[in-house]
Amino acid sequence: MIVQSIVIDALKNLKSNLLRTGLTMLGVIIGVAAVIAMIAIVEGGQVWLVKSIERLGTNLLFVWKKSLTLEEQRKFAGRSTGLRYGDALAVRERFPDVVAIPMIELDQQLKAGDREFSGEVTGTWPEYQEVRNFRAEHGRFLIQSDLTEWKRVVVLGKEVAEKLFGSGSPLDREVKIGDQRFTVVGVMRPKGTVYGTNYDEMVFIPATTAIRRFQGKDTLRRIVVHVPDREEMERVTQQLHSLLVQRHDGVDDVRVRNQGDFLNAVDRTIWTFRIVLGGVAVVALLVGGIGIMNIMLVTVTERTKEIGLRKAIGARRRDIMLQFLVESVTISVIGGFLGILAGIGAAYGFGGLVAQSMPGGGDWGAVIQPSAILIAFSFAVFIGVFFGLYPAVKASKLDPAEALRYQ
Amino acid sequence: MNGKPLIAMHDISKVYHAGEVSVHALTKIEITIEKGEFVAIVGQSGSGKTTLLDILGCLGQPTEGEYWLDGQNVGLLSDEDLTTIRNQKIGFVFQIFHLLSRKTALENVQLPLQYAGLSLAEQRKGATEMLKRVGLDDRMLHFPTQLSGGQQQRVAIARALVNEPAILLADEPTGNLDSRTGQEVMAMFGQLHQDGQTIILITHDQSVAQAAKRRIVLSDGQVVSDEAIDASSPSKETAGQP
Repeated sequence: MIVQSIVIDALKNLKSNLLRTGLTMLGVIIGVAAVIAMIAIVEGGQVWLVKSIERLGTNLLFVWKKSLTLEEQRKFAGRSTGLRYGDALAVRERFPDVVAIPMIELDQQLKAGDREFSGEVTGTWPEYQEVRNFRAEHGRFLIQSDLTEWKRVVVLGKEVAEKLFGSGSPLDREVKIGDQRFTVVGVMRPKGTVYGTNYDEMVFIPATTAIRRFQGKDTLRRIVVHVPDREEMERVTQQLHSLLVQRHDGVDDVRVRNQGDFLNAVDRTIWTFRIVLGGVAVVALLVGGIGIMNIMLVTVTERTKEIGLRKAIGARRRDIMLQFLVESVTISVIGGFLGILAGIGAAYGFGGLVAQSMPGGGDWGAVIQPSAILIAFSFAVFIGVFFGLYPAVKASKLDPAEALRYQ
Repeated sequence: MNGKPLIAMHDISKVYHAGEVSVHALTKIEITIEKGEFVAIVGQSGSGKTTLLDILGCLGQPTEGEYWLDGQNVGLLSDEDLTTIRNQKIGFVFQIFHLLSRKTALENVQLPLQYAGLSLAEQRKGATEMLKRVGLDDRMLHFPTQLSGGQQQRVAIARALVNEPAILLADEPTGNLDSRTGQEVMAMFGQLHQDGQTIILITHDQSVAQAAKRRIVLSDGQVVSDEAIDASSPSKETAGQP
């Protein structure tokens, strides 16, 4: 029997009951669209996260104080005072090939005239701009003499400058941080939000100023280390760790992490999402398949007489089976095709929504891979075959004499 | 008669099992039909004529006995071989026409050729010729719902004949037609018989059976009479009817 005739027959039959065919197809469309949209959204999320992490700067190590258990606290009492300014100086001295910067964070109120800004003020070193690849747009960043003289100079993030000074130039103007007068020496170039941090809301002062004029003690939030040679990352991580433990009187109270560790964490998270969302999408597709099977069983029953007639005039079992199988596969193929379109639309729509509503999601986008489309489509066709098989076999096994006289 | 008969049934019995009850639909049927005969198998409902039709048409197998069709022992054939026999040797005409409603007259007639594996062009050619033969060359692209009952039955006859079957097997072919159209259909059968077509007509209606040349009467699953019909002397049952 010619395949072309079977397909034409199938299309005619499906067309003769458009509403039913459409509803059955909808199950497949939703399933395929769900698979494609889920994959695209998860992949998009991964790309976005990886990009964000990479934009933190490359080849970076992050050092911060590890929280100790109660037992450890009792055991090490008085031996270590955590991450100190001296640690940053020691790292700089011990590793001339790397650039290390201390990070001090202060919650402070900024005032310029009657305008205010509440936020975090970062005390750091001039090398910050190389390490984070984040530079001043107007004026200058911090310089060495700011540090040695613990000057009251401040570099503002783009948004902070706009909030405090509007469109006018903030350079050489006065800003009160807490109750102390600072001079604005620079404004950073816009960078936006990366991995939860809005760089345009940052405020920089010299690390020494932060310690002497605000904190009163030299505790650091963290030390960020840039290792120019990627190959050295592992070695530096270990030596840095042992140096700090040694400086802390043998107390292991620091944690050294690199971006790779973050990327691995992201990977694990993304895999969880893949499995959960992929599972939901597959279930949707299976439900679509059950819909196909249900409607094909109804169709076989409705067309029992036709099956009997076809068998009487020479249709073999495989002809009948093929006829009904082609019908269910046609539903799944057309549904799969429409599902691809719907899935792509949903993924981009969702991507646009995230880009607009999520802070820092501006460059978020769904990632649609051809392999995802292929997988979803093949799965849909497989569903059509799998769930169409039983009704088709059932039809093919009907007894022709009984089928002819079926009421 | 020369050579083997077209149809030879020996000791054919059919028993249906419905739960604990066994129904003897046919008991020890002996029928021989030669090529070119026009035979009516007559019986009331429950006489076993439908079961006999199924066995004759290779739609079902007997419980016991031998059925030889055109030199082949049908009882030994597989399901697939029976399908081929139905396609090649038997043309069915049913009371309710059994046309596929979503197909045109032409496509309905093409169907047996399609299952025989012919190309689309050959199917078209064969079906067109056959529809011309039954006088429907101007109705080929009509759907069954657009045709009268008589026209539908003629499409069904064209479909039955398109593969040049050894037997035309008609099951109450006039049952759904008015008497005038029924007579037209029977006249067509008469003409086909003249042309040498073997026809087996199954009916409960003695007047319809009158068109045949030989009458086999079934009752309670057994052959109770088997005789030639003398066209010049109508049977007693139908005498005097229009």
